[in-house]
Amino acid sequence: MSLIGATFGALKSSGEGAYIPYVCCGDRGTEFTVKLVRTLAKAGADIVELGLPFSDPLADGPTIQAAMVRALSSGFTTQSLFDTISRIRDDGIGKPIVVMTYYNPVVRMGVDAFCEKLSKVGGDAVLTVDLPIEESRQLDDAAGDNGLDVIRLVAPTTSDARAREIMGQATGFVYAVSISGVTGAKDTLPDTAVSLLGRLSRISSVPVALGFGISNQGQVRDAISAGASGVVEGSALINMYSQSSQDEESVLDLIEKHSRGIKSATRFISDEETQKERL
Amino acid sequence: MTADGYFGRFGGFYVPEVLVFALKELQAGYRRFSQDSDFKDDLHNLLCTYAGRPTPLYFAKRLTDVVGGASIYLKREDLAHTGSHKINNALGQALLAKRMGKSRVIAETGAGQHGVATATACALLGLDCEVYMGETDVERQKLNCYRMNLLGAKVNVVRSGSRTLKDSINEAMRDYASTSDHTHYLIGSVVGPHPYPTMVRDFQSVIGAEAKEQTLAQTGRLPDALVACVGGGSNSIGLFHPFAEDKEVQMFGAEAAGEGIETGRHSASVVAGREGVLHGSRTLILQDDDGQISETASVAAGLDYPAVGPEHAFLSGIGRAKYSAVTDREAVSAFHQLSEAEGIIPALESAHAMHLATIVARDLGSEKALVVCLSGRGDKDVDQIARLEGML
Ligand SMILES: Cc1ncc(COP(=O)(O)O)c(C=O)c1O
Repeated sequence: MSLIGATFGALKSSGEGAYIPYVCCGDRGTEFTVKLVRTLAKAGADIVELGLPFSDPLADGPTIQAAMVRALSSGFTTQSLFDTISRIRDDGIGKPIVVMTYYNPVVRMGVDAFCEKLSKVGGDAVLTVDLPIEESRQLDDAAGDNGLDVIRLVAPTTSDARAREIMGQATGFVYAVSISGVTGAKDTLPDTAVSLLGRLSRISSVPVALGFGISNQGQVRDAISAGASGVVEGSALINMYSQSSQDEESVLDLIEKHSRGIKSATRFISDEETQKERL
Repeated sequence: MTADGYFGRFGGFYVPEVLVFALKELQAGYRRFSQDSDFKDDLHNLLCTYAGRPTPLYFAKRLTDVVGGASIYLKREDLAHTGSHKINNALGQALLAKRMGKSRVIAETGAGQHGVATATACALLGLDCEVYMGETDVERQKLNCYRMNLLGAKVNVVRSGSRTLKDSINEAMRDYASTSDHTHYLIGSVVGPHPYPTMVRDFQSVIGAEAKEQTLAQTGRLPDALVACVGGGSNSIGLFHPFAEDKEVQMFGAEAAGEGIETGRHSASVVAGREGVLHGSRTLILQDDDGQISETASVAAGLDYPAVGPEHAFLSGIGRAKYSAVTDREAVSAFHQLSEAEGIIPALESAHAMHLATIVARDLGSEKALVVCLSGRGDKDVDQIARLEGML
């Protein structure tokens, strides 16, 4: 079983959901990316999603778009992503790493070469936002050959039949998109997310992580009780450092505190069950 | 064409999961209505009574004499309603949107011609309309912006990325992701995920179908060559497609060489691009070694796009059509040449085709004939040219 599969297995037996922060690699420099990942790991992140920036991120809202622009305009390259993952591993951080990107940077490098390199530097999975199951054969093969999981998306508009097909091919986990729309922090969990999680849990037992709009503990508890096995938080974290005028150390402290909170909210399942037992 | 939505290995359906449902619905809707005789009659009727079709095929005698070579015929899309070929596709898709029960239409626009055509079709059919336009393009095409407002459309200024056509497509896709239950995304060229490259080609094929009949009627035979400018590639594919099986008819596409291919400031994706995936299609793209999309340049806003419709990538690969790049300077000079020789002011996009046509005409020699798609009229560009030449 892959490291990601094992991670979800262990979390399930301890009655927790996975906390999966998204980090835009190279935003504020790769040095900062490494520090941020270290902070998040310390705060209890279970899996890290590392974004490989793309010039035309059409599924992302303004926060992640801006982060990608900052990273790319400071000279970030695909090689910088691999170097950053190597440094994270050298730092002794062993959490599973999912590289999240768009398909073109992967195609440019060569799908096989990309997967081989990612696997070599210690990546665990790849998620290409604009690659639906109809087109993902080549990536699936290359990822499989290199021991990488391919993380697929499901959306509120995905039919049951299609969700069954996607989940049937799932490796690692499935990423459920909470809204029909783009990434960006929100305060509450939309109804579409709750009903999607309900549908997915009836379809398959593959772990489902909910993302798009996650920013607070209340949403995380709602997601977990609606059937999510984990949550992805992206834009809200980026906002915490990009909108702050404080020095790096204080910002990272704030992020650590915030992320500990989010992580604790993923333990809601066990809390809920212990409470039930007490009653 | 191989599988649905593929042209050889190009094309396809590279979209986020959030868009899959809407695009499959559109595929089904298009499949159904493209075979529905009521739909086809309604569209034909609008094209004839409202949009001014068929547009004339005009023998440009004075230009032919000046150039000295094959006879140059102009397919006068500049005389279609709203001043360019864009109306053919806008009416087709707006009618389809209406049949599919959508109440709102969104579009991207570069030069503003597609935005104006879409706003027009929506006014005609009673659909809400919002158009995404890059800030850079808004500045160079102010008049078209105001025209869209007059037609009741809302123009959303795009300030992300390079603030041109590609960024407007990104914004329109983001809008579509959250509104597709009641909104149709009316793409303006043969780009994007399946079914757009096929659907837009079919709506634009009226250009070539008419041109074929008209050349046969006027000259008694097929033309020896076809010439058109290629931004996303809709007017060119519209002219080329009906001649696909006529192997003796050569096809030439004029891309924008901007300030020169060697300067890197151009938009010639077939000539200088590499294979990749952008906006839903596998095609030829201007990009760097890491697959980041390049910023493009052209004096013609409508050609300022870093990729090309997948069918062109295919036609180029098999050698059926040939593509060359025309610089800003050459296009501006062709703009003047046609204005003076024939009393026709072409759009700057079409001026690229005019320049290439003069080269092809000389290569072919005097016994031959070629058809150029004069994709639009130049009124929108007069202000820009006057400023460029220090007249304003
Ligand atoms: C007059 C005119 N011609 C050509 C084009 C380029 O588009 P396409 O290559 O899709 O025909 C445009 C685009 O705005 C245009 O306005």
